[in-house]
Amino acid sequence: MAGYKARLERDLDRWIAKGLTPAESREAILASVTEGPRVDASTALAVVGALLAAVAAVAFVAANWDAIPRLGRFALILSVFLAAAAGAAWAGRLRPILANTLLAVAAIIYASAIGLTGQIFDIAGDPQTALRAGGLAAGLLALGGRSSGAAIVSLALLGFGEFADASFQGVAPQHSFRWLVFAAAAGLALAWLWNSRPLAHAASLALIIGVITFIAVPNRHAVGLIFIGAGFGLATLAAAARWISPQRTASVVMLWSVWGALLLFAVGGFDDLEAGKIVHRAAWVVASGGTIALGMHDRQGMITAAGVVSMIAAVGAVLFDLGLGLMTSAGLLAACAVAALVVGLVVRRRRASA
Amino acid sequence: MILVVRILAAAGLLVALLVGLVIREDVARAGGREVRLAIGAIDPRSLLSGHYVDLQFVDEVPAGISCRRTIYLDGQEKWVLLQAAGDRHVFAGGVVGDDFQPPPGAVMVRGQANCLGGQEGRVGLDIGIDRFHADQDEAQAIQAALQRREGDPAFAIVSVGRDGRARLKGLQVGGKRTELTWW
Repeated sequence: MAGYKARLERDLDRWIAKGLTPAESREAILASVTEGPRVDASTALAVVGALLAAVAAVAFVAANWDAIPRLGRFALILSVFLAAAAGAAWAGRLRPILANTLLAVAAIIYASAIGLTGQIFDIAGDPQTALRAGGLAAGLLALGGRSSGAAIVSLALLGFGEFADASFQGVAPQHSFRWLVFAAAAGLALAWLWNSRPLAHAASLALIIGVITFIAVPNRHAVGLIFIGAGFGLATLAAAARWISPQRTASVVMLWSVWGALLLFAVGGFDDLEAGKIVHRAAWVVASGGTIALGMHDRQGMITAAGVVSMIAAVGAVLFDLGLGLMTSAGLLAACAVAALVVGLVVRRRRASA
Repeated sequence: MILVVRILAAAGLLVALLVGLVIREDVARAGGREVRLAIGAIDPRSLLSGHYVDLQFVDEVPAGISCRRTIYLDGQEKWVLLQAAGDRHVFAGGVVGDDFQPPPGAVMVRGQANCLGGQEGRVGLDIGIDRFHADQDEAQAIQAALQRREGDPAFAIVSVGRDGRARLKGLQVGGKRTELTWW
């Protein structure tokens, strides 16, 4: 997909040809437009390769039980970690993508080193503590090196740690305390501060998952209403992000908040709401329609898509509530999907012909 | 320059924390009170995949205690009481809270005990140890010893530190003691 500057170049050439803009203004206009650094395919592949190399190094250390003594294995994994961190320090500000990638690699290696250390020296510990320790270590590396990659690794580890909790299986709900929702908030702040769209995506997704794990504690009362309330909370966040959009990462946060708000609102309606269920379904349909209108108004395709998906789900839920069989509901939903696809194709053709 | 210092400082701190953890655990393991616990079952399948032995501590419920009626056997207890019995320690009960003074010869370990369904009068101990990692040679030797033992009990050699945590020191199978070393 062409960037804004490339599209502007084409538009400028067209406007100059029609006499709408003086030709001598072309370079000055283009020079006034700044675009962030673009990551080409080779760089993306190099990043993926580095991450895979980190996993390979960890697997190598883990597998060589006979060849390397315990202390040697421990020293080796720490050396690999230090080498990645030192490489990131060397790359520093001159090669920011390399430094960012190496810090993410170092964060992965350190998280693995925690597990391997427990294995090498038979130190007992629960998986959640190990994952959270790895997440905190990755967070420290992210702050130290201003690395969005390490911050994403941190969020991922803390997210896995959330699901490694025994309380999540209903064993000890009184001991559950969730970290991800707070880590996601910190991630959003860092994404804003560093103007990092990848971190904004990861932190927004983590926020939705964090809110769900925060609420979904076994034996919690009125869980449906709490989900709906959280949905309103994310809708407020989306409104705030839209208000300050398009500054920095606000548009990314708005997009995910809209998806999250609709998801939480929808899920909340499947609890036992009794008479409130009718109100919920009506509000769901209205919110879906409003989201479609918002997406079309702001020309945000993914927000429109959220509204369409939500609308189809809402209609399906209403049909199910009315007592229609699953096959009938499935048929109606399929018809809705086909209709949406046909309308989408027609709109695209019209736009292309225009 | 500041960025370089920050990255190296963060990395150095993390390495120091991990090294410190290993040293602290080794000191606690060496300084703890040694107990030998019978291993109820050993799953040797894991030897082939990850070179570790799954450990299960299973013991008899002491006389006078009913699994169904005793509060501390419902998964909520904090401590497991172990009583010396000959050359080993056996399960003597569970304790809630930190104020309990163990009787002479008894050891309190952080953990919990759960009655085993389908095994009347048997209790499974969860003291935070569930596997023993070994090199491939060691693992195969343990496996061979397990096959030869013919009713001879296998033991886990456990160190109980001042903090009440159990740390694995080694295994004793077929009279052969295999201990954890730095090498």
